[in-house]
Amino acid sequence: MSGLASAPLVRTDALAVGYGAAPVLSDVSFDLRAGERIGVLGPNGGGKTTLFRALLGELKPLGGALDLAARCGTVPQTERSRLDFPVSALDVALMGAIAGRPWWKHPGRAERRAAREALARVGLAELADRSFGELSGGQRQRVLVARALVQDARIVLLDEPFTGLDAVSIRRLEDLLDELAGEGRGVLIATHDVEQARAWDRVLCLNRRQVAFGPPAETLSLDVLAATYGGSIVTLPAVAGEGERLALLPPHHHDHEH
Amino acid sequence: MFEAFDYPFVQRALVEVLLLSLAAGTLGTWIVVRGLAFYSHGVAAAAFPGLVLADGLGFSATLGAFGVALLFALTVGQLAARGRGGHDSLTALVLVAALAIGVVLASDVFHSGANVETLLFGSLLAVDDADIRLAIVVAALALLATWTLGQRWLAVGFDPSAARGLGVRSPAADLVLLVLIALAAVATLSAVGALLATALLVVPAATVRMATRRMLPWQLGTIVLAAAEGTAGLWLSFETNAPPGATIAVIAGGIFALVALARSAATMYTRTRGVAQPLGLRPRVAFENSPEARSRGGEGAR
Ligand SMILES: Nc1ncnc2c1ncn2[C@@H]1O[C@H](COP(=O)(O)OP(=O)(O)O)[C@@H](O)[C@H]1O
Ligand SMILES: [Mg+2]
Repeated sequence: MSGLASAPLVRTDALAVGYGAAPVLSDVSFDLRAGERIGVLGPNGGGKTTLFRALLGELKPLGGALDLAARCGTVPQTERSRLDFPVSALDVALMGAIAGRPWWKHPGRAERRAAREALARVGLAELADRSFGELSGGQRQRVLVARALVQDARIVLLDEPFTGLDAVSIRRLEDLLDELAGEGRGVLIATHDVEQARAWDRVLCLNRRQVAFGPPAETLSLDVLAATYGGSIVTLPAVAGEGERLALLPPHHHDHEH
Repeated sequence: MFEAFDYPFVQRALVEVLLLSLAAGTLGTWIVVRGLAFYSHGVAAAAFPGLVLADGLGFSATLGAFGVALLFALTVGQLAARGRGGHDSLTALVLVAALAIGVVLASDVFHSGANVETLLFGSLLAVDDADIRLAIVVAALALLATWTLGQRWLAVGFDPSAARGLGVRSPAADLVLLVLIALAAVATLSAVGALLATALLVVPAATVRMATRRMLPWQLGTIVLAAAEGTAGLWLSFETNAPPGATIAVIAGGIFALVALARSAATMYTRTRGVAQPLGLRPRVAFENSPEARSRGGEGAR
């Protein structure tokens, strides 16, 4: 890689991805630079996870270009089967060190130390030996961040990491993401929360195709939000201390039960 | 009471069962972790026509069974490597086809007669040296592979999406697992037969899973439980003159049911009393009823 500070970690051009012959997500052209946090917005089924799968190498592009300067670390969407897995927080963090040693070797002392240090960095030093499934939702996400740290991933993908977390855990995780970006990693965060994404560097709006990409202040217009979420948007009157806020009235939804 | 074990053929059966427990105890946990229970059943059933063919044509039964099982493992591995998850429908198809072909071969081509029952349900009391040698090889390979590849199998099972990024998405490691399971299934055939192979390969691991939370105790516990169930089944079948394979399967199934029952009883108790759950008995339902799990519900992550 060239030493240019602006050389992106990820660059896609008219990328199309899907599970069969027909793409479920197309026209994706964006780039992720070192030290940048990009919020990936979109409705359920909009293609956020599909994009991440392409970046992780699970799905081959059906069209367009995809360039990665490094391998991705990932904090995947929460899945119930993982909660029942017979591993401790330390075991999970150690998974980040597998690539660094020959296939027949077990983790050595240095790797264990690195894994414990990563857990300490995310504030979980005392819970290293706890079962993964016994941790709270926010703690589990931080264990997975620790795995990415052990892996020393320069690109970190987080797929709806805030879903189901309480306010305190959300703050903690947000601070952690700021730290990751602060040390020069590129961070992509899929989220449902438009307001949250406004604090990040850029936003990528997806709804089966790329709707918009750019800094939140310029990008998140009414039209873009409507095209992203496919609903109608209303302006809420200003409340004390804050200006006007936008609220989205979703079209009648099918796949959400809460 | 235990004079059964004075007989050389029973002793030989015992050695076979203990060796198979080593293989089943280690591979069984991987089968459960990687969701390959149905695959193991399928691969054992797929070996059935291979056995009939070998029996009819007079070549080594092990070779016939392993040939077919290997073909099955490679097909599934190939599909999995191409990212077509869910081996289940393919497995079901092969399962039915294998049994049908086996039965047609046995009844109409080779007129195998009484042998068919032995092929389907095993003949633990008639194992020979070749069976024992195969069991030694399989047990050794299972232990060796668990020691060397276990970390990878675990990491991929925990989070398949991350595997490539972690540098562990090697189709080779997964193929080794599939082939080893096929080999173990074939080794198990002589003891408990094509239809009951899972009684040794999957049921003990699934049973111990309910009471352990880490790989190592789970694996050690499964080896011990499979050995105990095999020994008990062997003894009981000698005393009652019942077929040993089926006896082992009934015992394994019964213990699984008991543990599952005890676990849900413990859950009910701790939930009504509102006390902390005892170690090792933390139930799944605790997760499924948490507000967090509910908010996740419905969003298929796959
Ligand atoms: N494994 C799959 N096979 C086929 N189609 C899929 C698969 N996973 C997701 N899809 C489809 O791809 C589209 C985008 O899904 P996804 O990327 O999961 O959306 P999001 O993560 O934004 O909710 C959806 O229409 C979904 O039905
Ligand atoms: Mg998703």
